[in-house]
This record gives sequence, C-alpha cells and structure tokens, in this order.
Amino acid sequence: MSSSSIPIRLQNVTQRFRVIHERPDTLRELFSKFFRHESHYHDFEAVKSVSFEVPSGQMLGLIGRNGSGKSTLLKIVAGVYRPTAGEVQVKGSLAPLIELGAGFHHELTGRENILLNGLLMGYSKREMQEREQRIVEFAEIGDFIDAPVKQYSSGMYMRLAFSVATEIDPAILLIDEILAVGDLPFQQKCFERIQNFRKAGKTILFVSHSMEEISQHCDRAILIERGSILADGPPGDVIEVYKSSTALEVVGAH
Amino acid sequence: MIELVRDTYRYRELIWALALKELTIRYKRSVLGFLWALLNPALLMLVLTLVFSTIMRFAIPHYAIFLLSVLLPWTFFSQSLSYAVESIVGNGDLIKKVKVAKLVFPMAAIVSNLINLFLSLIPLALLVPLMRHPFYWTWLYLPVPLLALTIFTLGMTFFFAAANVYYRDVAHILQVVLSAWFYVTPIIYSLDFIPPKHQWIFKLNPIIYVINGFRLSVYYGMLPKATSIIASFVCAFISLFIGFAIFRKYQDDFVFYV
Repeated sequence: MSSSSIPIRLQNVTQRFRVIHERPDTLRELFSKFFRHESHYHDFEAVKSVSFEVPSGQMLGLIGRNGSGKSTLLKIVAGVYRPTAGEVQVKGSLAPLIELGAGFHHELTGRENILLNGLLMGYSKREMQEREQRIVEFAEIGDFIDAPVKQYSSGMYMRLAFSVATEIDPAILLIDEILAVGDLPFQQKCFERIQNFRKAGKTILFVSHSMEEISQHCDRAILIERGSILADGPPGDVIEVYKSSTALEVVGAH
Repeated sequence: MIELVRDTYRYRELIWALALKELTIRYKRSVLGFLWALLNPALLMLVLTLVFSTIMRFAIPHYAIFLLSVLLPWTFFSQSLSYAVESIVGNGDLIKKVKVAKLVFPMAAIVSNLINLFLSLIPLALLVPLMRHPFYWTWLYLPVPLLALTIFTLGMTFFFAAANVYYRDVAHILQVVLSAWFYVTPIIYSLDFIPPKHQWIFKLNPIIYVINGFRLSVYYGMLPKATSIIASFVCAFISLFIGFAIFRKYQDDFVFYV
C-alpha cells in the first residue's frame, strides 16, 4: 500500500504528562520547594509507544476504559499535543469533533461564532461565509442565529457546534463521544451525516463507550489499556477482548 | 523572524476576528457601544485640559497636547501588555482543545489596542485646533514612530505572555513594572527638566526613543534626529527578537501549563 493512502500514521508515540501534586503557581512556592529539595511532580505516561495506521476511508473505533488514553491519542492526532516521543503523520484537512463548541464565545452571536470557529480551524473567511447558510440550516436554530450563544439551550449550542465542525468537508474526522448531543431526531441526523462521510471515503477516528455504536459503524477497532494497544482488529473480536478483560477484573475484585 | 511574518500573514483573518471579538465584548453591554472607544480618550482629554489650563498651570504652553502626544502611545503600550500577558492563560481552554497557532492571541491583543489608539488620535486631532495649537505637517511622520512602537510592544508582549504561562506572578509584577516605568519615562514631564548630568540615566530607558517621535512631531512640529530614529528601531527589533525567540521556544509546551 502506498503511503499516500494512509492519512493517519503513528509510530512509537509516547505522551508523557507531568502530574503536579501541588503546583508551584507562584515564585514563592517555587523557591521554597527548591530549597527543600522536594519533588512536586511525577511523570505519567498517558500513551506508551503506540503505533498504528489508519488507511484512507476507514472508520476506526477506539475503545477502552476511562483514563486509558483514548482522548489523549485523539488530541495527539488533532495536533493539540506535541507528543513527547515518536512520530505523527496526518495528511489532509482534519475536523476535530473533540470538544464541540470549544472555540465558542458566549457573548458573540451564533453567526459571529461560526466565523470565529471556522477561522480557528484554519478556514478562510470566504469559505465560512459560503457555508454559513448550510450550517444554519443543518443546526435548525432559526432566528437564534443572531442572538448571543449564551442564550442558547445546551442542545442548540451543540447542534450549532456539530454543524460548524462537519459542514467544512474535512478529509479526516476525529469524533470523541459527542454523539449524545441533541434530541433523538438530531442524533439520527448526526449519524446520517457520519454515514455520508463514510460513503464519501473520509477517514474517521471514533471514540465511544457504546459497543453498539462501535460494532455498528466501525470497520476496525483498537482497544487501549493504560496507554498501550491491547487488541487491534475487527470490532466484534476487539469488543470481546474488552468485555472479557473488564469481566476478569470485576471477578478479581471480589 | 520570517516565520513570524509568514504566520501573521497566514492567520491575519483570525487575528483580526479575535481583535474585533475583544472590542465587541468590551463594549457590548454599554448603551453607547463602540462610541466609548472615542469618548474615553476625549473625556480624558477634557479633564486634562481643564486641570492643566486652569488649576495646575505649568510653564509648558498647551500642556494637554504636550502630555497627550505621548500619553496616548504609552496607553497603547501599557494596555497591550496588560491584555496580552493574560492572553495565553486566558485562552487556555481553547488551547487545550483546538490546534491553534499560539501567536494569534498576543497579536490580537496588540491589534485591538492599535484600533483603540487610532480612535483616540481622532479627538487629539480635534483638540489641537481647539487649543489654537499649530497643526504641523509633521503629523504625517507619525506612522514611523507608530511602527517602532508596535514592534517594540509586540516583542514585550510575546515575552510576558509566555512567562505568565509558567509563573502567574508575572501578570502582577508587570503592573508594578508598568507604573514605575511610567514615571521614569518623560511622559508627564520633559527630559529637559532633568539636570544634564543625570540625563544619561533616563536615556537608558529604551522606550524614550520609541515615543520621542510622537511628541516631537505632534507638539513641536519637528522630526527626530536620525540617531534617535535608528535607536528606536534598534530597541524595537531587539525587543521583538528576544520576545519572539522565547515565545517560540516554549509555545508547544503552553498546552501543558495553561
């Protein structure tokens, strides 16, 4: 397989975080710690030497327990974190549906936020203006588009955020458990849109705790446990490994 | 440095949108809205003019213009720094969630304050004929000191914004530094008031070369000496080189500390 058809490639990626017990927020704390030779942190590897590739057009599900490193991996792919070690290659435009509405500002109107959010994701003003109408329509928020987003209900807020993030025609989508947004009809619309992305051959990285969603939508799944890959393969098999590993732990706890 | 120019151009629309956001939010809840950007300096000028032409009379004629010609650029400098020092930490939530070039935040702080500076020059330009002070052609020279001042401020801004990520004391220290700096800089007084044998101490202050051009061209109708212009740009670029080098070195780690 030629490398051009591999939009996401991670090689021995390690992400180390410094967990600060009592953070020396001020210089005084820093000096007092320094003179007492105390170590106020320990290093923690959220992702340990992980390697995988996602071929073009594949929908890959990431599963694992809370704190296993799934979201950290997504943020590495999204470029939010620069990994401590290893190599990350991402080819093509990327839409991170990680924390929807992260770039929204409460005092600005929906319309102003559409532009600002698009610019934050690296799109031009013109591109966003061309898409504005479609974004508003998909989000179904009507006249509220010219009201400050602080007046939105949480459902409206998420609908607008989802709409902005997906209307921009990315090559790669990163989805982190955001599909629990909005009411049932809107959830269905979201899934339809994701299905359309799949049909259009987009590459999708999908994090979910719903095994049903993973087995229904993904071509492949990876199980992450304490920052390392435990299983990689067809969703059904990987889910089995996950279930048996958690079951074992529950038994072991008794 | 090429990187700085390239990224500024690349993210120009984002920087502009963030700067406008800042201004929009600052004036949103007020009845007069954006007009405050004009009214604020105008009212300040009114107060200064009244105080210095009736209550406190100085030997300097048209003292209000003498003062404002450097007070307005100084305000730009100190306001930009005060805003920008928090710009990375303040946008921490965003930095932790979205991949975004970090330099857009201090840049946006500068741009929004530049807009304020331009708006405040309008009432100054109205005050000059009102006080029957000559309107010198040297006003046309203002873009030059403005450029030096912007570059100087940008460098300081990068440094303080980066430093504040690691130690939040920096924002507090900055306020103290700024108020001390205000008094050791010939803003409310003139360098001529200082005995000649002590003047060299004041000339160690880099910002005097940068703001000198404002007073000369607006108040005296003169252009600065070539050495002074060169000195202003040397100071400005030293500030930018050091500030941006430090910012660039640490920017990828900001996300772990905000």
